[in-house]
Amino acid sequence: MPDLLRVLPLIAKQIRRRPLRSALTLCGIAVAMFLHSTIDAMRDGVERATRVTAEDSVLVVYRENRYCPFTSRLPQYYGDRIEAIDGVARAIPMKIKVSNCRASLDVVTFRGAPPEQFVELYVPDLEIIAGSVDAWLRRSDAALVGEALATRRRVVVGDRLDAAGITVTVAGIIRSDEPQDENVAYTHLSFLQETSQRGGTGGVVTQFQVKVTDPTRMEEVARAIDAEFARDPDPTATRPEKAFVAAAASDVIEIVEFASWLGRAALIAVFALIANSIALAVRDRVREHAILETVGFTPARIAGLIVIEGSLLGLVGGGVGALGSLLLLRQRPSIGMEGLTVEFTAQPGAILLGLFLAVALGLAAGLLPAIRAARRPIAGSFRAV
Amino acid sequence: MIGIECRALTKKFMKGETTITPLDSLDLVIEPGSFLALMGPSGSGKTTLLNLIAGIDRPTSGELLVDGLDIAHLSRSRLARWRAEKVGYIFQLYHLVPVLTAYENVELPLLIHPLSRKERHARVQRALELAGIADRHDHYPRQLSGGQEQRVAIARAIVADPPLLLADEPTGDLDRESSTAILKLLRKLSEDLGKTLLVVTHDIATTDYAQATLHLEKGRLVTEPGEEQRHA
Repeated sequence: MPDLLRVLPLIAKQIRRRPLRSALTLCGIAVAMFLHSTIDAMRDGVERATRVTAEDSVLVVYRENRYCPFTSRLPQYYGDRIEAIDGVARAIPMKIKVSNCRASLDVVTFRGAPPEQFVELYVPDLEIIAGSVDAWLRRSDAALVGEALATRRRVVVGDRLDAAGITVTVAGIIRSDEPQDENVAYTHLSFLQETSQRGGTGGVVTQFQVKVTDPTRMEEVARAIDAEFARDPDPTATRPEKAFVAAAASDVIEIVEFASWLGRAALIAVFALIANSIALAVRDRVREHAILETVGFTPARIAGLIVIEGSLLGLVGGGVGALGSLLLLRQRPSIGMEGLTVEFTAQPGAILLGLFLAVALGLAAGLLPAIRAARRPIAGSFRAV
Repeated sequence: MIGIECRALTKKFMKGETTITPLDSLDLVIEPGSFLALMGPSGSGKTTLLNLIAGIDRPTSGELLVDGLDIAHLSRSRLARWRAEKVGYIFQLYHLVPVLTAYENVELPLLIHPLSRKERHARVQRALELAGIADRHDHYPRQLSGGQEQRVAIARAIVADPPLLLADEPTGDLDRESSTAILKLLRKLSEDLGKTLLVVTHDIATTDYAQATLHLEKGRLVTEPGEEQRHA
């Protein structure tokens, strides 16, 4: 390590030697690592939003063959029949109204739920970071707004939030581990039913959120619910909440999966950029490497200088790219579709892995030029340039 | 102080179909602490001999003992470590690293020694002062004259205090005034610090400063009648 510290200024000076070339290389690495980190966060967001785990205990009951909140309409009285099914703990009717039914980066989703049931089943899992639940209960047009949505729309407690033809008063800002809660405005069910232009007023909801008594019986309960309404005018399709997100977001998931190939390609770009830069640098410095060996640097030490230079390029460029990605992801971007949200957040582990990859790629990219430089005969190198 | 002994030292290489023999079965003994000038026409093998003694080229056959060690059979890495301890090399074209200041160029050989920054600084400072270029320590090579660059190169060669100094036409690219100054400096290093000094040169003036002059021709030493091949 002391060895490395002694030669680091030399390596740094070599990198600064061709400022334009180094800047362009670093810029390319930064952009590639920005892409890689951001796409990685997107993939992670999709996975977190759609991976059904053993702890999940919420089913979503939707209108069969409907995929959009505008067209899924279920009678509110279904709730009592659902709660009568063995294995169901609670069924909360929910009216959903979205500003945009298609995939979009700025979808505002209103979810209306009966206040008492909402407070009993949802509020314990939410952190109220501004305002209060009492204020929400007192006012019929009040909304509890997810932190990400509040940040995106720049609203605070007391403000009016206007979207999809509905205006609510922000009574509280909520924080949650669930992306769905972070990008939603919870209102009173009756308020949303009355203000919705489509779907009629009263008695009609978009879906039911069903809490089961035993997470291991999710599939069994889902089948029982669908069987209960199979011969009704409005048959149902019941799935675990995350499977429901996966089905609704299938297009986005495919796009993100495709984008992950771009992320891998970005890594190859990092490798190529560093390899090219190092190869050019080594070609420029044939005589200098001979000088270093003449004054006592061993070939391995010279190869080490080159490899470290590649790694430093990877570290600095990768660091800038990862920082850019972090800054973007701090805004908590999300994609909304069908009233559901896939949120992209920075995962420290993924960012660190990206940085590690950038350094490792830099190291690998410098390896071949380093070996070549170490093998070049000294006397010939003085004549070569 | 360090002595050199060459026994039937030969260097050959191929140039196309032709075998070139820059050194042909050379026998030579250089006494420790001597200052020798090595002269001869172009292609006579002067630089080849210097490179072989420095361990930056390898002989085809023969023995090359430097300070009693046969360096012809050392690995490349061991040669580099050996050079770090024993050899200071001065090039005709100085070969300074352009992105480093005079100070940093002189410091280069010390980066591989386990010295503290303070120790390195003291050594670099002393080498720059000995070479008479301390006042230009923060200048880059492009900001120095040829003579000043050569002084920096000499400081770099002596900074690790090697007992053997090899110089390949150190005044070949300099004007008369600068040449004289450099030659005086080399003689001072030889006399005051007891270095063994071998200087390849075309410059007859160098012989005035050296203790003896060797003449190479077609890869062999040319000796005057009665003169032995043991020098200084």
